[in-house]
Amino acid sequence: MASGPMEQFQIDRQVDLFEIAGQTVSWTNSAFWMVASVLAIIAFFVLTMRGKLIPGRMQSLGELSYEFIADMVRDTVGPEAMRFMPFVFALFFFILFANLIGMNPYAFTTTSHLAVTAAMAIFTILIVMVAGIWKNGFKWFKIFAPAGLPLPMYAIIIPIEIISFLSRPVTLAVRLFANMVAGHVMLKLFAIFAAYLIAKGGVTALGAILPIAGTIAIVALEFLVAALQAFVFAILTCVYLNDVYHVEH
Amino acid sequence: MTCRTSLIRFRALSRGPIRVLSLKQKRLVFMPKQNGQSDISPQTDLDAFEEKLAAATARRQAKVKKDDGDDNSLLGMAWRLSTELLVSVMVGMLLGWGIDKLFGIAPIGLLIGLGFGIATGFVTVFRTANAMDAKTAHIPKGEALPELDDED
Repeated sequence: MASGPMEQFQIDRQVDLFEIAGQTVSWTNSAFWMVASVLAIIAFFVLTMRGKLIPGRMQSLGELSYEFIADMVRDTVGPEAMRFMPFVFALFFFILFANLIGMNPYAFTTTSHLAVTAAMAIFTILIVMVAGIWKNGFKWFKIFAPAGLPLPMYAIIIPIEIISFLSRPVTLAVRLFANMVAGHVMLKLFAIFAAYLIAKGGVTALGAILPIAGTIAIVALEFLVAALQAFVFAILTCVYLNDVYHVEH
Repeated sequence: MTCRTSLIRFRALSRGPIRVLSLKQKRLVFMPKQNGQSDISPQTDLDAFEEKLAAATARRQAKVKKDDGDDNSLLGMAWRLSTELLVSVMVGMLLGWGIDKLFGIAPIGLLIGLGFGIATGFVTVFRTANAMDAKTAHIPKGEALPELDDED
């Protein structure tokens, strides 16, 4: 029978473009689906931009998604962080669309690669650092040393805070990547199992009903996870953006 | 049909509690001249929409019972806590290992990093768990999200 559960994550080089420092930069299937999800997002918002006083269905969708992210940023960080709202918005919708597009048969899930999620997570944390230092100067580093502790405690607290700060991009990246990979592998395993049972024929083919039911359930779960992980990524970005604005705590 | 009503519902939810206005009140609200419109017909589009909205919301409210925030994201919480614990330890060890490489003090940095990593893991997990308790890592209950995985 055809493919193993991990084959769906294979990256195909389609065109080699150019070289940077000995590394070939190629146009891959991953790149293709990333571009596809960006185009899908653009199409979605072009379709939903209407600007009528009474919104129709499409415009409602667009307005909802704006308000959803805007409220999230306002509630978790505060109105002063609204300048980061486009960033959070872009992150959320890129992840959401990449996840959802990845749910289609034959599509490639770009977020199932650590390189992609890590790039987004590292970018997020760099934004937090740069914006924090930009805004607070070097007082920003106080987030590693909460005020009002006995002096010897700082020897323990500061490394702990630094490690916990540095582990944020890792958790962000790993959570999204692991969720997507786990879901898709599970899906594939159930599907393969069903295919084997059917191929066996006879009475065993009837047993395929169970894994097929499982597959359907997992598909539903995966759609939930796709949305949830985009949401979690965005909300944690907001939580981390707190460190830009609220240094004293 | 369901699609439409649920959209309307979520619009309503995102705007906060809905004011169900009687027709008379609505006139009071929409009549004022500050809009620059002096002569509004009693049934403007907005009025009609507001009415439909109220009706749809009422219908919906009757059908959907309040889900009292039992979030099914327990799995998500478990994921979050476990990755945080694990990743903290790993980052701590990595830092220690880096210090080892830098100063050539073979296993000492790694061990210290491991210790700090474990400590950090526990601190982060406690913090996250606390935040989840204190309703709960800022995740709004079942309002904002379900638009994405609504039944239709």
